[in-house]
Amino acid sequence: MNKKLIALRDGFLRPGKSFIEGDIFVKLSALFMGAGYFRRKQFIKGLLITIFQLVVIFFAYTVAVPYLSKITTLGTVQRESVFNFETMKNEENDYDHSFKILLYGIICIVILTAAVIIYFTNLVRVRNLQLLAEKGKHINNIIEDIRAYKNDKFHMTLLFFPILGILLFTIIPLLVMISVAFTNYDQNHMPPTSLFTWVGVENFKNMFTNSVTISFGYAFKKVLGWTLVWAFFATFTNYIGGILLAMFINNRKTKFQKVWRMLFVVAIAVPQFVSLLLVRNFFADTGIVNTICSNIGLTHILQNIGLVSENITYIPFLTNPGWAKFMIILINMWVGIPYLMLIATGVLMNIPMDIRESARIDGANGFQEFTRITMPYMLFVTGPFLVTQFVGNINNFNVVYLLTQDVYVTLDQALANSRAKEIDLLISWLFRLTNEYYNYKMASVIGIMVFIICAIFTLIAFNSMIRGNKEENFQV
Amino acid sequence: MKKRKVLAIVMVVMMFAGLTACGKNTTTNSTATPTPTVAAATDTATATPEPTKEAEATATQAPAALETVELTMWGAEEDQTMLAEMVEAFKIAYADKANFVINLGVESESTAKDTVLTDIEAAADVFAFADDQLNELVNAGALQAVQIDTDAIIAANGGSEAGSVKAATSDGTLYAYPMTADNGYFMFYNKEYFTADDVMSLDKMMEVAANAGKQITMQFDSGWYLYSFFQGAGLSLQLQTDGTNLCDWNSATNAIKGVDVAQAMLDIAANPGFVSLGDAAFVTGVQDGSIIAGVNGTWNANVAAESWGDNYAATKLPTYTVAGQQVQMSSFAGYKLVGVNAYSDNVGWAMYLAEWITNYDNQVKRFETRGLGPSNVEAGASASVQASPAIAALAQQSLYATVQRVGGNYWSPTETFGAIMAAGNTDGTDLQTLLDNMVAGITAPVQ
Repeated sequence: MNKKLIALRDGFLRPGKSFIEGDIFVKLSALFMGAGYFRRKQFIKGLLITIFQLVVIFFAYTVAVPYLSKITTLGTVQRESVFNFETMKNEENDYDHSFKILLYGIICIVILTAAVIIYFTNLVRVRNLQLLAEKGKHINNIIEDIRAYKNDKFHMTLLFFPILGILLFTIIPLLVMISVAFTNYDQNHMPPTSLFTWVGVENFKNMFTNSVTISFGYAFKKVLGWTLVWAFFATFTNYIGGILLAMFINNRKTKFQKVWRMLFVVAIAVPQFVSLLLVRNFFADTGIVNTICSNIGLTHILQNIGLVSENITYIPFLTNPGWAKFMIILINMWVGIPYLMLIATGVLMNIPMDIRESARIDGANGFQEFTRITMPYMLFVTGPFLVTQFVGNINNFNVVYLLTQDVYVTLDQALANSRAKEIDLLISWLFRLTNEYYNYKMASVIGIMVFIICAIFTLIAFNSMIRGNKEENFQV
Repeated sequence: MKKRKVLAIVMVVMMFAGLTACGKNTTTNSTATPTPTVAAATDTATATPEPTKEAEATATQAPAALETVELTMWGAEEDQTMLAEMVEAFKIAYADKANFVINLGVESESTAKDTVLTDIEAAADVFAFADDQLNELVNAGALQAVQIDTDAIIAANGGSEAGSVKAATSDGTLYAYPMTADNGYFMFYNKEYFTADDVMSLDKMMEVAANAGKQITMQFDSGWYLYSFFQGAGLSLQLQTDGTNLCDWNSATNAIKGVDVAQAMLDIAANPGFVSLGDAAFVTGVQDGSIIAGVNGTWNANVAAESWGDNYAATKLPTYTVAGQQVQMSSFAGYKLVGVNAYSDNVGWAMYLAEWITNYDNQVKRFETRGLGPSNVEAGASASVQASPAIAALAQQSLYATVQRVGGNYWSPTETFGAIMAAGNTDGTDLQTLLDNMVAGITAPVQ
C-alpha cells in the first residue's frame, strides 16, 4: 500500500481511535459535542459547538427528515385545488413538489454530510485537547483561537468563502442537474402540478437508441461529430489567424501599426450578440450578400461548378448544411481572430531577441524562424490557453445559435424527430430541448456527456502538452 | 502586514457577495417605477415612447377597510398603454370591493407559455397568450379554469361551438378568456395583378405571378402553414389525451393519398410563380415588390397595406390542385386568449381582471387603438370591424379553419418535411418514405 492510502486510512480511523483512547469526556463528546471543551475550560467553544449540535438536530427533524423521506419517490401527492367563491382564492391540498424535494433533499444531504464530518473531527479535536492537558501544555483560550485564524491558519480563513461559494453555486446545482438525468422530468411531468420520479438509466438508454421514433442515438452521433470538428477548426483557425495577423501588424515594415491594431479591436468592441444577428441578416437567402453575389454573377459561377444547387437562385449561406458549417467557422474567425491577435502580440514581444538573432546569424530564413522559434514559443506559452479555448469552443453557444436560429431548417428527418439540426453543437441542442420542449431529462443526459467529453480532453491535453517543467526545451 | 490580511479578507468577502448577488437575482419585479402618465389615446401605441418595463399604478383612494389586492398582468409591448387605461377603468369599476395594486409587465403573447412554464409560481396572475399554447399550459396546470361568469363569457363569444370558445376550451372546461380572433392566416394579394376571380385558385395565381415575372409565397417549412394542404385534402391530425398526436398524413387509403399531397406540394414549389418564404422574407418581398401575393396573418397587414396602397386586398386561402382535383386549402384558426394563473394568490380577482380586459367595451377599444379583431361576437359585428380587409378575410377563411390542437412533437418533423418539399426533394427520396418518417416523428410518444 502506498503512503497516500495509508494516510487516508489513518484519517478515517482516527476519530474511532480517539474515541477508544480518549478519557470519559472525550467519550462523552460523542453524545454531547461540547463536553470535551467544557472539561478543558474552553467554555465559549463548548457553547458554540453545543449550539451547532442543537441547530443540526433541529434542522434534521424539521427540514431534512420531511424532504429526505420523500427523496426515494420524489413525492406522491399531486396538487388539487378548489376555487372558494367566498374567499375568492384557491384552496390547495398539501401537495408534493418533485423538484423542490430533489433540490432540498440534495442540499440536506450536503449539509448533513458536512455535519457528520464536523462530528468526527470534533472527536479528534477533543482528544488532542486531552493530550495537550495531560502533557501540561498551554491550551488556547477563545481569543487565541480566533487570532490563530489570522496568523497560522490564515489560509483557512481565506479559503472558507470561496469553498462555500463553490459548494453553493457549483457543487449543489451540479448534483441536482446530474440527478435530473435519472428522472422523467419532461413536459409531461412538470412540477408543481405534476410529479416526476426516478427512472434509473432509462434516459441514457434512449440517448443511445436509434429507432424511428427515438432517434437520439443517431442525432447524438451526428451532433457530437460536428461539435468536435467545429471545436477543432474554431480553435485552430483563430489561433493561427491571430498569430499571423499579429506578426503582420508587428512587422517592422508595416506602417500605421496602431491604426491596424485599433481597427481589429473595434471588431471586439461591438457586442458579439449584435454583430452576429446582423451578419445573419446579411447572409440570409434574400439578404444583401446574396443580392451582391447574384449581381456580380458569383451565384451563377458557383452553380456551374456545382457548389450551389441548380434549382435555387441564391447561395444558401446559412440554410444548407455544408455551406452553413463553412460560414459558421468563417464568421467565427472574423469574431475571434482579433482577440487572439491581442494575446499573440503580447506573447510575440516576449520572445527573447537573442534567440532570433542567433538564428539569423546561423542563416535561418523567415519561415524557419516562424516554425522553429515563434510557433514553439507560442505553443509553449499559450498551451493551457489553447486547451481552454478548445473546451470553450465545444460549449460555444453564441456563434452557432445566433447565426442559425429561426433560419436553419434541417432536411434530415431523423434529426428533426429528436429536435437536432446538422449545425447544432451539443450545447445548442441541449438548449433547444430545454427551452422549447422542456425535455430536462434528456438535456441533463447531454449535459453529462458534454462534461465527460470536456473532462477527457482537458485531462489528455494537460497531461501530454503541459506536463512538468518544459521551460528549457520549448525550441524542439 | 496586518493591513494586507484585512484587505485580503475584505476582497474574499466581496467576491463571495458578488456570487450571492448573482445567485439570488431571480425576482424581476423588484424595481418600482414611477406611475406613467397615461397619454390620451391619440397616438398609435407604437409611437408612444414607453420605456418602462412595468408600471406600478397608484392604488385608488378607498376606505381603509377594503383589502388590498395585488395583481400582476403580462401583455404585449405594443399594448402597454392601452392595458394601463383598461386597468385604471377596472380599478374604478371595482373601487367599492377592494384596493388594487396592479403591475403591468411586458410579455409577448407568442412567448408567454415559455416564460410561464419556466416558473409557474413566479409568473403573472393574468397573462395573454396565443391559443396554440393552451394545451401545454393546461397540461402543466398553469391555467385556472374560468369559474366566474363562465356562461356569459361563452355566450358573448358566440356560444360553445364558436371557434374562439373552442380554442379556449380543453376537455370540456373553459380555461381562458377569448381576447382576439385574428391570429390565423389568409391570402394577401395585390389588386394591380389579380382579379377577384384569380385568387380563387392557387394555380391561376401562380400563372399570373409567373407571367408578371413576380412571385407569390407561402411558408412551406413551418408546420403551421403546412397543415393547410393535408387538412384540406381530408387527412387528419388529432391530439390525444396523453399529449401525443394521431396523424394519418401518410395514408395510402384515403381518397386523396398522402403522396398525392406531397406531389402537389412539389409541383407548387417547382412553379416559377411560387417561392416559399419565412415571415421576415415575406415582408422584404412585399416591400421590394417581388412578392405580389402571399399567405400570412394580420400582423403583417400594415406592411401589405402600406406597400400596395389602394391595391391592397385580402381573402380566404385559394384552392390547390391535388390528384387532379381542386381542393380548398384549410388553415389553423388563431386566437389570442387571456389566462389566469392557477397559482395566483388572488385567483378570484385575477378572473375579474381577465374578464374585464376581454369584455365587449375593451375588445372594441382594442380594435380601435390597435386594430386587433375582436372575438366578442357583438364587437366583431360592427361595421368598422367588418370594413377591415384582413379581418373580413379571416372571417371568410374561418369556414375552412380548425382550432389548433396539436402536441409538441408536431412542429419539428413537419418543419423539416416542408423544407424538403420546398427544396424540391433534391435527393429523390420516395415520397411515401418521407411521409412515413414525418408521421413517425409527429406521433412519437413524448420522451
